[in-house]
Amino acid sequence: MSNFQELIGSFPKTREYVRDFFVYGFKTRSDFKEKSPRTYDNERRRLECWLSPYVRKDYVSNGANISLAIDSNLLDTNPLFRVWQTKSFTGNDIMLHFLILDLLQDGQPETAEEITDGLLTKYETFFDIQAVRRKCNAYAKEGLLLKEKKGKTVVFSLDDTLPRWLGSRENLLDAINFYQMAGPFGMIGNELSARYQHHNHSFRIKHSFFVHTLEDEILFTLLHAMRLKASVRLSIKSSRRETVSTACCIPLQIFTSTRSGRRFLCGYVCRSERFTCFRLDSIRHVTITAPLENPEAYDELLEKLDRNRNKLWGVSFQNEGNHFLESLSMTLRVSEPSENYIPERLKREGRGGVVTKTAPNTYLYEIEVFDSNELLPWIRTFTGRILSLQCSNQSVERRFYRDLQAMYRIYGIEKKEPQAESKNG
Amino acid sequence: MELFSERYSCYYQVLRHLLLHQDALSIQDIRAQISKEGFEESMLSIIPKLESGEWNLFDRDGALYLSKISPSFVTPLSDLEKSYLKALLSDPRIGLFLDRGQIGFLQRMLASVTPLWTPEQFYYYDRFAGGDPWEDEAYRTIFRTLLHARKNRQYVDIDYNAPNGRRIHHYYVPARLEYSVKNDKFRLLALKHTGRGKMRLEILNLARIKSVVPTEKELSSAVDLNALIQSSYYKEPLRLRIVNERNALERAMLHFANYEKNTRKLDENTYECLIYYNQNMETELLIEVLSFGPMLTVTGNDRFLALLKARLECQFNINA
Repeated sequence: MSNFQELIGSFPKTREYVRDFFVYGFKTRSDFKEKSPRTYDNERRRLECWLSPYVRKDYVSNGANISLAIDSNLLDTNPLFRVWQTKSFTGNDIMLHFLILDLLQDGQPETAEEITDGLLTKYETFFDIQAVRRKCNAYAKEGLLLKEKKGKTVVFSLDDTLPRWLGSRENLLDAINFYQMAGPFGMIGNELSARYQHHNHSFRIKHSFFVHTLEDEILFTLLHAMRLKASVRLSIKSSRRETVSTACCIPLQIFTSTRSGRRFLCGYVCRSERFTCFRLDSIRHVTITAPLENPEAYDELLEKLDRNRNKLWGVSFQNEGNHFLESLSMTLRVSEPSENYIPERLKREGRGGVVTKTAPNTYLYEIEVFDSNELLPWIRTFTGRILSLQCSNQSVERRFYRDLQAMYRIYGIEKKEPQAESKNG
Repeated sequence: MELFSERYSCYYQVLRHLLLHQDALSIQDIRAQISKEGFEESMLSIIPKLESGEWNLFDRDGALYLSKISPSFVTPLSDLEKSYLKALLSDPRIGLFLDRGQIGFLQRMLASVTPLWTPEQFYYYDRFAGGDPWEDEAYRTIFRTLLHARKNRQYVDIDYNAPNGRRIHHYYVPARLEYSVKNDKFRLLALKHTGRGKMRLEILNLARIKSVVPTEKELSSAVDLNALIQSSYYKEPLRLRIVNERNALERAMLHFANYEKNTRKLDENTYECLIYYNQNMETELLIEVLSFGPMLTVTGNDRFLALLKARLECQFNINA
C-alpha cells in the first residue's frame, strides 16, 4: 500500500467498484471475487478518499460493509461527480497547463518557440520545446487554444471572450447549476460551476439517478456514433451472469426510465432485423465501426422507431407469443369526487391509453402495446381498486393474480371488512 | 474531446484557486484550501510538490508562496464545454434562465459548435404527461422571482391554488426549487413561520402559484434546511426483505438508489434494506413498493405495513 495514489489513469476499472458500492452497499472484501484482495483494498481506499463525507462503514460478522450513504433529498450536487476529478497527470502537465494559458491571456498569437522562451523569461521555468509543442497541439485539439498557420509558421492563441462572458452572467451560471443535476453530462456543468465558484444552493432534483454519471463515457461514444450515423459494436456484461458478450447495432436513441433508474441504448440490430434495447450500465465498451453506406437509411430507421414507439410501454419490442400487439384493459373503482386524482393518474401516467368513465365510480383504462408484461409494475400501483384486469396475453393476467395471491399469503390477508384507504395515490 | 481529463482533476481545481489568490499564502493557507476542496489524502501529494518546487508555480518569499500567474487569469472553454453549453440551448427549460437576447448571443458565439446531445436523442418513456408550461411568460416570471428571492433569503407573498381547490395566501421564504424528472415539474420548498418563532417546510407546486410578490423583509438568520428535512423522517425506517429471485435485488437497489438506505445480507440469497423517508414521500414509496409485487416483503415499520395491508385488503375484498 506504500505506493498508493489517489488519482487513477483509466476510468472504466473504477466505474464498476463505485457502482457496486453506491447501488448495493453491502459487499464486503470477500464478495468482490473478480479481483485480488489487494486490488479491492486499493479501490476501497480510493473511494474513501474521493467520497469521504458519504462513506459509511458498518461492521458485520464477515468484515466491514462499505457503502455510500447518499440521500438525494439532502444534496445540492451529485457526489459521484468527484469520480470524474481523479485523472492522474505529471508535474509537467500541471505546470504547462497554468503557465501556457497564463502566457497567452493577452490573446496574442505565439509560436511554440516563443512560448517556450516566454516560459523561461516570465516564469523562470525551462521546458523542452517538444513538450511545449505537444501540449499546445493537445490543447488546440481540445479547443482550449486556437491553432493557425501564418505562412510556414504555426501559432497558438487563446480566446477568452466566452469564458469571461459566462463568468459575468449569473443567470447562465444558475442554469448550469440546474442542468448539472437535471441533465446528462452533469460533471461538465459541475466543473464550470466550480471554476466560477458559483455553487448550487438553489436547486434540488427528484427522480434523478446519481449513478447515471458513471455511464457517461459510454453515453458519450454512443451519441457520437448517432451523430455520425454509424453502427457500433458493444461489449456487454450480463448483470445476472458474469459473462461478457458482443452485439452489433445501429444506435438510434437513449431510452431513460425516471422510475426504475435504468437507461438503455435503443438500436437496430441488422442481423435479427429488430429494434433492441441494451442497458447502458451493462455496456462495458463501445467501438464505432463504420458510418452507414446510405445515411438516408439511418433517418428511415429513426422514423420507423418513432412510429413503433407509440406501441411501446417500456423497452420491449416483442412479446412471448406470436401476436404483433397485445391489448390490455383494467377497470378501477374510484370514489368520486374525493379520488378524482385516480383518473388523472391514469391519463398522466398511462402513456396514451384510453380512459373512459363506464359507470359512476368506475373507470376503464385500455391500451395496445407490444409487450403487456411491462405494464405489470404500473398496474400493481393501483392495488386496492382493481375491479378487473383483462389481457390478450393470458399469462399476464395469470401472473398478476398469482402475484396477488402470493402477497395475500405473505401479509396474512384473509376475508374481513375493508379498512379505510390512504388519501393519495 | 476528452471526458476523463486531468484538466478536470480536483488537484487542478485546488491549484487554480490557490494561484488566483493575490496575497502571499502561508503553507497553512494552502493546507486549508486543500482540505476544503481536495480529496482526503490530497495533502500528502500536493504539499511536497509545492515545498520542493517540483510544481514550480509559485515564487517563494521565505515561508510565503506568491502566485506566478496573473490575477485576471481565466481558463478558456474546451470544445467539450462549448458543446455542453450548446446542448443546453436546445432545452425548452433554458428560457426560465436566459432571455432571448442572451440565448441569441450564445447561439452566435457557439454557431460552429456541435451540441453534445439534442433533446431528440433521449426518450423518457415513463415520464408523466402534463409537465410545467416552460414557454409561459407568467410561469417564467414566477420562477425568476422565486430564484431571486431564494438567493437573497427574501420573504415573498404567494397566492397559491392548492390541489384540493383551496386558495392559500401567505408569506414564505423560498428555500429550494425542486425539479422532478418524472413529473417534469418544479416544486418550491418554502419556509413558513409556524407562529412560535420556528420555521416549517412546505411544498408548493410552481404551476399552481398564481402570483408572487417580493417583500422588503429578509430572513435574519440561516435556516438549516437539511435538518428540517431530516427531522421530518420517521424514526423507524421502511424495512424490506428481498429474496434475490428474478434479479429482484439489483432492481430494488437501483430503484431505491435515491433514498438514504442501508442494505445487509441476511443469508446466501436474502437481503434486508432499510429506507429512510418522511410523510411527504410515503405515498410514492408505497406505490413503488407495490409495483414490485411479491418480490419485496415489507417487514416494518408498522405504519407502512398497515398502509400496505390496507391496500391489499381492499383488493382482496374486491376479488372475494
